[in-house]
Amino acid sequence: MALCAPSVFAMSDAEMDSLDSRFRIEEVEVTARSLTKDVIVPQTLKGAELQRLNALSVADALRYFSGVQLKDYGGVGGIKTINIRSMGSQHTAVYYNGVQLGNAQNGQVDLGRFSLDNMEQIQLFNGQKSDIFQSAREFGSAGNIYLTTRKPYFKENERVHVRAQMRFGSFALANPTIGVDVKLKESLSLTVDAEYVYSDGKYPFRYRRVLPSGETAYDTTAVRQNGDVNAVRAEVGLHHYYRTTGFWRVHAYNYWSERGVPGAIVNNVWRNGERLWDRNTFVQAEWQDEWFNRWSTRLLAKYANDYTHYQNYDKRLLPSNNEYVQQEVYVSLANKVRIFNWWDASLAYDYQYNALNRANLLVEAAPENFSRHSHWLSAATALNIKEYLRIQASVLMTSIGNSQLSNDKYKFTPGAFLSFRPYPAIDLSVNAFYKQSYRYPTFNDLYYTDLGNASLRPELARQHSVEIAYRLSNRKGLRTSDFGYEIAANLSYYYNRVTDKIIAYPKGQQFRWTMLNLGEVKIHGVDAKTDLSFYLPLDFTLRTRLNYTYQKAIDVTNPNDSYYGHQIPYIPWHSGSVVVGLDWKSRRGDHYGLNYSFIYTGERYSQQENTIYNYVQPWYTHDLSIYGEWAIKPVWLKANFELNNMLGQDYEVIQNYPMPKQNVRCTLAVKY
Amino acid sequence: MHVSSKILRIKNIDRFAQRVKTSMYYAMHFCLCSLFLTLYSCRGDEVIYPTIGTKVTDEVREGGVYVLCEGNMGSNKARLDYMNLATGTYYANWYGSQNPTQMKELGDVGNDIQQYGGKLYAVINCSHKVEVMDLQARHIAKIDIPNCRYLAFSGGKMYVSAYVGSVANPELLGSVFEVDTASLAIEREVKVGHQPDELCVLGDKLYVVNSGGYLTNRYDSTISVIDLQSFTEVRKINVGLNPTRIRKDEHQRLWVACQGNYGAVKPQLVVLDNEEVIRRIPTPCANMSILGSTVYIINNETNTIQSINSQLSIINYQLSTPFEHPYGLLATEDALYIADAKNYVSSGILYCFDYSGHERWRAYTGDIPGHLCLVTGEYDAHEDTISPTPSTYSPYIARVYEYLPAMGQFVNILPKYEEGDDAMDMCLKCEEAIADNAGGLVSLGGWGGYITFGFDHPVENLPGKDIQILGNAFYMTGSTEYGSSEPGIVLVSRDENGNGVPDDVWYELKGSEYDNPTTVHSYTKTYTREGDTLQNPFHKQPYYPQWIEADEMTFTGTRLAPLSEQIAGQNVQRILDFGYVDNKPNKDKEGTSFDLSWAVDAAGEPVHLPSVDFIRVYNAADEILPQTGELSTEINGAIDLHIEQ
Repeated sequence: MALCAPSVFAMSDAEMDSLDSRFRIEEVEVTARSLTKDVIVPQTLKGAELQRLNALSVADALRYFSGVQLKDYGGVGGIKTINIRSMGSQHTAVYYNGVQLGNAQNGQVDLGRFSLDNMEQIQLFNGQKSDIFQSAREFGSAGNIYLTTRKPYFKENERVHVRAQMRFGSFALANPTIGVDVKLKESLSLTVDAEYVYSDGKYPFRYRRVLPSGETAYDTTAVRQNGDVNAVRAEVGLHHYYRTTGFWRVHAYNYWSERGVPGAIVNNVWRNGERLWDRNTFVQAEWQDEWFNRWSTRLLAKYANDYTHYQNYDKRLLPSNNEYVQQEVYVSLANKVRIFNWWDASLAYDYQYNALNRANLLVEAAPENFSRHSHWLSAATALNIKEYLRIQASVLMTSIGNSQLSNDKYKFTPGAFLSFRPYPAIDLSVNAFYKQSYRYPTFNDLYYTDLGNASLRPELARQHSVEIAYRLSNRKGLRTSDFGYEIAANLSYYYNRVTDKIIAYPKGQQFRWTMLNLGEVKIHGVDAKTDLSFYLPLDFTLRTRLNYTYQKAIDVTNPNDSYYGHQIPYIPWHSGSVVVGLDWKSRRGDHYGLNYSFIYTGERYSQQENTIYNYVQPWYTHDLSIYGEWAIKPVWLKANFELNNMLGQDYEVIQNYPMPKQNVRCTLAVKY
Repeated sequence: MHVSSKILRIKNIDRFAQRVKTSMYYAMHFCLCSLFLTLYSCRGDEVIYPTIGTKVTDEVREGGVYVLCEGNMGSNKARLDYMNLATGTYYANWYGSQNPTQMKELGDVGNDIQQYGGKLYAVINCSHKVEVMDLQARHIAKIDIPNCRYLAFSGGKMYVSAYVGSVANPELLGSVFEVDTASLAIEREVKVGHQPDELCVLGDKLYVVNSGGYLTNRYDSTISVIDLQSFTEVRKINVGLNPTRIRKDEHQRLWVACQGNYGAVKPQLVVLDNEEVIRRIPTPCANMSILGSTVYIINNETNTIQSINSQLSIINYQLSTPFEHPYGLLATEDALYIADAKNYVSSGILYCFDYSGHERWRAYTGDIPGHLCLVTGEYDAHEDTISPTPSTYSPYIARVYEYLPAMGQFVNILPKYEEGDDAMDMCLKCEEAIADNAGGLVSLGGWGGYITFGFDHPVENLPGKDIQILGNAFYMTGSTEYGSSEPGIVLVSRDENGNGVPDDVWYELKGSEYDNPTTVHSYTKTYTREGDTLQNPFHKQPYYPQWIEADEMTFTGTRLAPLSEQIAGQNVQRILDFGYVDNKPNKDKEGTSFDLSWAVDAAGEPVHLPSVDFIRVYNAADEILPQTGELSTEINGAIDLHIEQ
């Protein structure tokens, strides 16, 4: 760690990880970091490994994690949300450089909109992040995804880094990116990042059915319409690391897009007319410091302003034209104190204000306004008993304004985490946790016209999880060019229970849907994953990543329901992925590589009732990429060619939303 | 023996190769997956299996009940089930089973189903179509009507309410479309109120409820009264907030279910007599079915079934089974059918009760069974025995659109040309001769000459022959193989652009000589005024049609090989097998009738035409005989065989 910048002291684990990978690229000798020091072992994709994947957006990359189901409506512009351990996408929180991305309107974060191009690292924590020094809200979700963007790193005498990239691909994909890092002063740096994405979204898809005799019943190929997307992303970050302990950074983000919503392909309907315009803007600031080696403070502030304009002028439907403006103000103060070397405690308070303004542009009526104030207060403690045992416990008090939280005004949710390492010499640990978390009703759940129900209670998820993590490596102190191996394996079992699940139910008047706390789901799951890396002679590196997930997520709401005990919609029993990558590095530092990945999602059902009418076939795709990286001083050149869905499988992740067949992407990048 | 075993071997090799190919295809998946997937399953073909009926009762009755299950929006899971009362068997997904080749099955959100005549009509709301089927639910056609909602029938017409009209309007008013049940063509449209739902014909008026269901807090509260003659909205009657259902009883009263605003304004059932509100019954009514003077309703507050007698008092119907969300309701002479939609996202249950409240049987349906339709009578595909389209249509020719004979000895005589007549006048003269069973004759002249006529309705393509076209052919005494035959070819066309003029694509009705190698399919012949020198002693008038201004006429079409032979000193023609006008005597009904299923396109590929609007006959013979002049098709009239004479 000697070569790390002085600011490392103040950096989180995640940041150290990112430096880790960066240093490997820069051919610096590093010591492999022990994964098992985490109480909760995160799943991580970072640096070069992330860039090698056949993935365009964060959502694509998350498919390689275990316990994750991606809902993908297809195409570059299609909505992509994820569901961790079957608890529902709204139990998942997504953090962008440490601050949660919010959507008070529908609780959904479309991960298809987050580019991988400036992403340094993606991490997924089940339960919560393995560090009690965090904002109060971070204790509040069942599953957490941390997106960390590229941070500037300058060698001595370097002042400017520039990275320009162009990507082309099927469906008229054009995607230029530019990133500039500037060292303004010692330890003060600026990053600027901009990206444009265009795709016409016109991909062919095919529906084929056969008769029991094998004869074709019908076989139709058509082209997806109204799936175009035009998006611009621009980000500016200012980072200042000072002394050895503190830093502040400010990040501004703006995303603008226009897209068609291609809609469901149903009988006699081949195109839909919905259009969507979005602008997501936020500015966030973070400051952190430490005193006396004992007391750490972190201050976060964020303002977000999101605008959505939805139009549907399909002649066959009644027109709609709605505008939504969401605003969010968020502040957080977290403190951690080291009472003894083996005992930490933290206290955090968060406040958030959300407002939604909804206007129907077709009627002359005043726009509707909704707002709420929310408060979170967390207390947490961590005990490290020698090297054997680590214990963390937290309790979170939540108050979400305006929503009537049954009888009590506040909700308390506890969490307890334990990591036991029986033989300090062996990198083997047994981790377990229990955690409660609430999914709070969104503005749509509460106030959506005719459908909303202002007296909704939050939905409760209780997680129980045990995990065995093992890691073996012979790379301590070795140079990367020597033969070596790294093995990391995790096996976890979990049992989750979701109660008071918020679902739409036809109640009272004829066919009037309303949101109710009516639903209970039991989830048993097993996640198994291994990462194997072999550093072979002649500078070859072979990396494999295997993930397998088994989930039995059954509806146990009411024994009288026809679907009692059935698997909940879109959760496969079996899913998994394989990634195999071979790298070769030439004497002069050029890289060449081949990456193959296979993603499998098993059979599942599209509705609660597991009948043949709702059965959805398994799907699996084979993706291949080849890439090269050349050092032509003073620049680096990089080229990457991807072939996705190699065998051209006609599949759907969500029924009636066909996915693309074979498609290619080609990326050319220059780094200075 | 040898040959067959060799074939068998080749087949086996083929199959083996196929298998190797398939295994190679899956090898990569398999190797990788079996490594770590304990229960591995591959993706296979998506197979459409025929439905297997479930026996739900031993009691046997007549007819059957169709159950249209809506399915949730975007799921494409509208499903048509069939309960065969004659066998006590319930068939899930009957439509899918009957029509496996229908792309993406029945569609998205079924909203209404009704039988009319020999056909079944289903509204598929989010597929923007009315699906037309035979009584066994075999697809006949689809009628594209955007955002269509409900159906009503009267006088050979179907009325379809739709949330949007063919032209968008800023007030967001809906429309009612008039569709001819024979041609299945949309004929007229009338703008009504906001989001029209159910509709009902009473006398010569159509009553449509305007729900305003899409305008939150601005529900409509009217019914539109439409005069069927003029197809215009004559008035609006205020009935109550958010009316969604309208039915008539045997006393010609209208029952309208108003849903209120799901808040302070409570639902009510409104009774109208002679367009006046005579009673408001304060009860929720999600659906209703009227049998005689009793109105059965679904009370969706208590989720029970109630009946209202002729004194308008509400009686709770005691049924042994509690319902979760009863949604579909049908009262028949024999039984009360209630469809429970449960929670609207899983399969429902169809119950059959007798009128003493005893449950006879139940069956599991698709998602949201909302619409029930009793079908009576067995349908035989080969004989359309179910009531022919009831109408006041004439079975005879109503209009002659075009008359363009080629040069011939009867041209300008049949019908008679008089100085100053133009093409229109000649058409009218043709009408005088052959329209409305007038019994006259029209000559088409030489090869290529034609006439185009139509009826006062489109001719439906039903099983069997559809149209008879009369000529003046006769058999030679003692023979049915020879006689006087002057064959004409029949072309048919649909008024696809809806302009009422025969300018659409023509399809030939393929006759027996179509594939005969001696038949010339793209024959062209030009007649000139100058060449009009063929006068024979009997007919000395000009042979060139005098009302034609151009000095030459060119025809293109099919020419049959010469048919004439000398038998016993007489010029006679070989009688063709089938498919030609003026080829067999009129008394041979079969021999002079045509099936629209014979239609082929220009490439000779068969086409299915649900109905046709225009019929053209042209002379296909190009022969001039020394004694009797040219062979020239004569038309004596035509009859739509589906209309009672």
